[in-house]
Amino acid sequence: MRYFAYILALLAGSALSFEGAIYAELGKTIGQLETSFYNFFMGSIIMGLLWLFFGKGKLSYAVEAPKWSILGGVLGVVYLTSIVISVPFVGVGITMVAVIIGQLVMSMVIEHYGWLGSKKTRINKEKIFAVISMIMALILIN
Amino acid sequence: MGIFMILFTLLGGITLSAQSSINGTLSRKAGTIETTFLTFITGSMFLAIFILFFGQGNVLGILEAPKWQLSAAFLGTMYLLLTVMAVPKIGVIATNIAGIIGQLVIGMLIDHFGWFGSLVISFDLKRSFALLFMVIALYFIYKGNKRSSKESCA
Repeated sequence: MRYFAYILALLAGSALSFEGAIYAELGKTIGQLETSFYNFFMGSIIMGLLWLFFGKGKLSYAVEAPKWSILGGVLGVVYLTSIVISVPFVGVGITMVAVIIGQLVMSMVIEHYGWLGSKKTRINKEKIFAVISMIMALILIN
Repeated sequence: MGIFMILFTLLGGITLSAQSSINGTLSRKAGTIETTFLTFITGSMFLAIFILFFGQGNVLGILEAPKWQLSAAFLGTMYLLLTVMAVPKIGVIATNIAGIIGQLVIGMLIDHFGWFGSLVISFDLKRSFALLFMVIALYFIYKGNKRSSKESCA
């Protein structure tokens, strides 16, 4: 079951790459913010349908949940916007490296302290090695 | 200006990992599909406001865009849904590392073949070493995670 979750995450990343390449084309014709909006808008429709047919959870929990826990959507928008703004200044390569490093270091800090309701798991040698290897890979790709 | 932009982009990465942990937490009580749905709805609302004030493109261009470009929305949805599913099982860092590796591998593939009108950058020795490092990273994160879950059980 654990293996399976790793495969899901790998798949998620591959979807993101295809998406990015295709949206780059779409962005040229309709604009980048508009492309992001299209993505979120269509995503809402797709997930709305999935929820109607397969939703087993409790959507109404969103109303009683602590407010910080429903900020996911806004954060996604901040992420997209930061990329759209910085690519013209520093290029795609440096933008991606900076995003990924920010993401990796922050994930480690979040888990170490168990912030934002995540399960608290301490940083260990292996995790630091993993992040260093990722940074090496990024340098080699660029 | 350059340095400022890089810091700004680092912030982008930070918000993305914050998003995956927040969504992981919400999904435990609200459900996976429900959490993804909410993320998309609130995201569209914010972007709608953004576009009204700062949009310079043409939203209605969507109607004339080639359909294959529009199909990317299914991929975007898949990404978020799969991330929400993986975080509660293997944690934020493992989900992000595995996700980034999937992204980079497919990115190199797209570059190599020049798919979707991208610039052709062929797969060379440097990139095969990069691939090797990613495999090493995946191995370490798997091992590191196993060790910390053992420690938390003990």
